[in-house]
Amino acid sequence: METRVRLAVNGQAVDRIVDVRRSLSDFLRDDLGLTGTHVGCEHGVCGACTVLVEGQSARSCLLLAVQLDGAAVTTIEGLTPAAGLSPLQEAFRECHGLQCGFCTPGMIVVAHELLAHNAAPTTAEIREALAGNLCMCTGYVNIVRAVSRAARP
Amino acid sequence: MTHPAAGGWVGRPLPLKEDARLVAGRGRFLDDLTPGRVLHVAMLRSPHPHARIAAIDTTAAAALPGVAAVVTGAEAAASSRPIRPLIPTAVPLDDYCLAVEHARFVGEPIAAVAAVDRATAEDAVERIEVTYEPLPAAVDAEAGARGEGPLLYPALGSNVVWHDTLTYGEVDAAFARADGVLEERFEIQRYASTPLETFGCIAEYDAGTDGYAFVTNDQRPGLTLAIMAESLGVPQARLRLQCPDIGGGFGNKRRPAYLLICALLARRAGRPVKFLEDRRENLTALMHAAGGVMHVALAYRADGTLLGLSIRDVTDEGKNLVSPAQHNLIKLGNIANGYRIPAIRYEAWSVLTNKCPSGANRGIGKPFMCFAMERAMTLLARRLGLDPAELRLRNYVSAAEMPYTTPTGSQYDSGDYPATLRAALERFGYAHWRREQAAARASGRLLGIGIATSVEPAGTNLASYEIITGRRAASGSAEAAMVRVEPDGQVRAALGDPPSGQGYETVVAQIVADELGLHPDQVSVARGFDSTTTPWLYLSGNYSNKFSVTDTGAVVGAARRVRDKLLRIAAHRLEIAAADLELRDGAARVRGAGDRGLTLRELARTAYADVLGLPPGEEPGLEARHAHQNPLARPIDAARRVPSQLVFANAAHCCLVEVDPATGGVRIVKYVVVHDCGRELNPLIVEGMVHGSTAHGIGAALLEEFRYDASGQLLTSTFMDYLKPTALDIPDIEVDRLEHPSPFTPLGAKGVGEGGAIPGPAAVANAVDDALAHLGVTVRSLPITPDAVWRWLDASAPERR
Repeated sequence: METRVRLAVNGQAVDRIVDVRRSLSDFLRDDLGLTGTHVGCEHGVCGACTVLVEGQSARSCLLLAVQLDGAAVTTIEGLTPAAGLSPLQEAFRECHGLQCGFCTPGMIVVAHELLAHNAAPTTAEIREALAGNLCMCTGYVNIVRAVSRAARP
Repeated sequence: MTHPAAGGWVGRPLPLKEDARLVAGRGRFLDDLTPGRVLHVAMLRSPHPHARIAAIDTTAAAALPGVAAVVTGAEAAASSRPIRPLIPTAVPLDDYCLAVEHARFVGEPIAAVAAVDRATAEDAVERIEVTYEPLPAAVDAEAGARGEGPLLYPALGSNVVWHDTLTYGEVDAAFARADGVLEERFEIQRYASTPLETFGCIAEYDAGTDGYAFVTNDQRPGLTLAIMAESLGVPQARLRLQCPDIGGGFGNKRRPAYLLICALLARRAGRPVKFLEDRRENLTALMHAAGGVMHVALAYRADGTLLGLSIRDVTDEGKNLVSPAQHNLIKLGNIANGYRIPAIRYEAWSVLTNKCPSGANRGIGKPFMCFAMERAMTLLARRLGLDPAELRLRNYVSAAEMPYTTPTGSQYDSGDYPATLRAALERFGYAHWRREQAAARASGRLLGIGIATSVEPAGTNLASYEIITGRRAASGSAEAAMVRVEPDGQVRAALGDPPSGQGYETVVAQIVADELGLHPDQVSVARGFDSTTTPWLYLSGNYSNKFSVTDTGAVVGAARRVRDKLLRIAAHRLEIAAADLELRDGAARVRGAGDRGLTLRELARTAYADVLGLPPGEEPGLEARHAHQNPLARPIDAARRVPSQLVFANAAHCCLVEVDPATGGVRIVKYVVVHDCGRELNPLIVEGMVHGSTAHGIGAALLEEFRYDASGQLLTSTFMDYLKPTALDIPDIEVDRLEHPSPFTPLGAKGVGEGGAIPGPAAVANAVDDALAHLGVTVRSLPITPDAVWRWLDASAPERR
C-alpha cells in the first residue's frame, strides 16, 4: 500500500508517494539519497540512524516515512555547512572522536541537540545525552572530549 | 608545506584526513553504494540448532512478483564448490555456502532470494516451505571433548576436530620440585565486537567474460579472492574485489559464503545483487569469539617464582569448519604472558558444537588466555600473602633479557614489563586506593582493585597452522603497497590492507611524506581496496594487528624506491651526484644549497612526458610497489616451537570498581592503562585504539554474552539482550605510555589494536574478585553480570539471603 507524504527535509520541501511500510531511515537513504544517516541495528538501540524531527532527536529506523507527513526533519547533511565543517564536527575531528565513522552522524545529531539546550554541559551530562548511541570503536572517551570542546568556545 | 623541524611527520598526533568526510556523513560505506538495476537479497535461516532438511519448496517464493532468483543448498552444491578451510578437518568435509541436507546452528543460511527490494525478498523468504526433522544438538563443548553428545558430522566420528598435547621443557620435573601448585578452572563466554556496520557485499556477474565483481566490507580480501576463485571455478584474473569505507571490523567482518550466495544469485538473475546483514543475522550467525573452559596449573616456589605451567583448554568452536583450533594456536603464542616460565604444557581440544561459528574477534583467544593467567597470578599472590603487583614483578621477563624467546617459540622483541607495571601503579595511585579500599570496607562498601598485565603480539604467522594440520599451506606475515608520483607531481599511495577505522589514509600519508619530503596533505591514500589496482598478496588484509609491524615495511619500501628514482632523475638532470641531493619541501634539492633543485612536478614531467631526459636505461614513470615480509616469522621447528604471532607490545591495566551488594551491579570508578607499543606513528590514533580496545574488554567483562539454552537456541540475538557498553558504562580511561621501539620493524612500531581487549577482562575480573574475596567469592567466569554477582554472593553465604 502506498500513500503520499509531504515534509521538509533539511529545509527542502519533499513530496513523495511511499510504501506505508517504508521506514524513515530507508526513505531518507534510498529515496532521497541522504546516506549520511546510517542504519546499525534497525531495532532502535544503537542510535546510528538518529535524526532531528522538529528539532528533537528521533530514531529514523523506528519511524515510518508516512508518520512524518507535515514534519520538519534534519539529518547530518542538514547540520553540515555548505563549505567546511560545523564547530561540533571540527571538534570531533580535532579530538578524533570517531574511528570507523559509522556511528558518527548519529552522535553528532545527538550532541547538536544537547548543545542547543545546554551550552555548557558537564561531562556527566554529555555521557547521559550520548548513552542512547552505541559506538563500537572509541570507548566514548574522545567523543565526550569532542562534545566538551565544542561546548567551550 | 615545510617539513617539521625535528623528527618528521611520523610520531605526530595529526588529526585524521578521513575524519573530515566521516564527521559530515560523507563516508562511502557498502550500503551507500547502489549499482543500477541492483537486486536485494534476503536469506532463509535455520530456526533449529540441528536438523535434517527433508524438503525445501521454493515455488511460492519464486512466483512472488518482484522476485528474480532463488537458490537453495542443493543448487549451491550443484553450481559451486565447497569453501576451502584454512585448517582442514582430519576427514575432509564439504562445506557449501548454503546448508545441504543438514542445518547445524540457529541462523545457518538454508536458502536465499534476490528481489527488487529487501522487503519483497523477505516476503519471499517467508513463502519458502522447509520440512525440518529436528535432531538433538551438541551444546556442551566439554562433553564433546569427552566424546559425549550428538555428532555434527558422523563422518568425523567425534566433535573434537583437534586434540593434542604440546610440551615444552621439563614440565613433570618442574611440578615435582615445586613448593606448591595452584589449580583453577576458568570459563569464558561467547561474545563479539559487533562492528556497528554489519557485513555484506554487492556481487555482479559478467556473462561476457564469465567473471565476477564484488564490493564488500571483507577484512581479508586476499584470502577471500582465493576462496571465491576456487568455489566458483574461475581464475582469479576474472575476479574483482573492492572494499569501500568499512564501518568497523575487529576480525568479525568476513564470510566468504555470503559472497558466494550472492554470486550465484547474480549469475542466475543476470543483475547485480546486494546483501547486508540485519543486526539479528549479525549477532546470530556471523562470528563469535569462541567460548571455552581452561584448567590452569601453576607450579611455584615458596617465594612466588614460577616453575611450570600446565593447561588443559577446551574451545567451543560452534560450526567452525574454516579455522577450528585457531584460538588454541593464538593462545599458545601468548601462554607465558610476560612471565619467565621455563616449562609449559598445553593440552587442547577444539570442539564443534551446534552454535554460530567461532572466528576472529579482537585478540582471538588472547583475552581468555590472559584472563586465566592473570586470575591465576592474582589468586597465587593471595595464597602466598604477596601483593599481586609484587608477584608479577618477581616473574617478569626483564628488559635485560630482551629479545627473549618463550618456551613455545614466541619472541618478545623489546620492552620493560616491570617498568610498565610500576608506571601504571604510580599513575593509578595504587597505595592511596589500597588505603581508601580499607576505609570503605570498614563502612560496608565493596571497593576492589584489579591489576592485569599482558603482552600484545602483532602479525600472524600462518606457518603455525602446521602444528594442527601437519603440513604448511601458507606462512609468515606480509603486505604490499604502492607509491606513485602522478604526472602532475602529486603523490598517491595504496595498501593491500583495507582499514576499518584505524586511520591508514593519514598514517600512510605521514610515512610517505617523511620519505619524500612532503606534507601529508600532499599525499592521497586510496580509500579501501581494489584488487585490480591495489597491490596485494594472499596474506593481504586488515587482521592480526599487523599494520604497524608489517604493512609499514611495504609503505616505506615503496616510498624509498620512488625516492631513489626521483633522486636518480634529478641527479642526471642537474649533473650532480645523487648522494648530494635530498628530497625536501616537494623537490629534490642540493644539500646545503638552499632552494636549488627540481620540484616533483618537474621530475614527474621528465618521468612521464619528456622521457628523453631520463638517465640512460631508466624506466619511464614514477611508480613503485613493494611487499614486506615480517622478519620474525619462522617455520615450526623439530620441537614444535613456532611464533604463531610476532612483534610484542605490552600493557598494564589498573582498575577500581565498586560492587553494589544490594544489586550485584559493578561500577568502574577508575581505569588506568599504561602501554608500550614501541614508536607511536600517530599518538592520536594510538590513544583512541587503547580506549576502544579497553572498552571491548570492559564489555566482555561485565555485559556481553551470546547465551545459548540447553537445546542450542540463542537467547541474546538483539541489542536489547546482547548488551553493549554505553557512554555510561565506560569510564574516562586514563592512558600513559612507555616507548621501547621494536628493533624488528621498519619504524620501530608495534601493534596497538588489541592491547586493551586482552587484559581488560582480567583487570575487571581481578577488581571484582578483590572486592568480594573477603566474602568468600572467587571470580572464575565471565561476564560478571549483576545476576552472576548475586549468585556468587548467595552461594558463598546463603544465610545472607
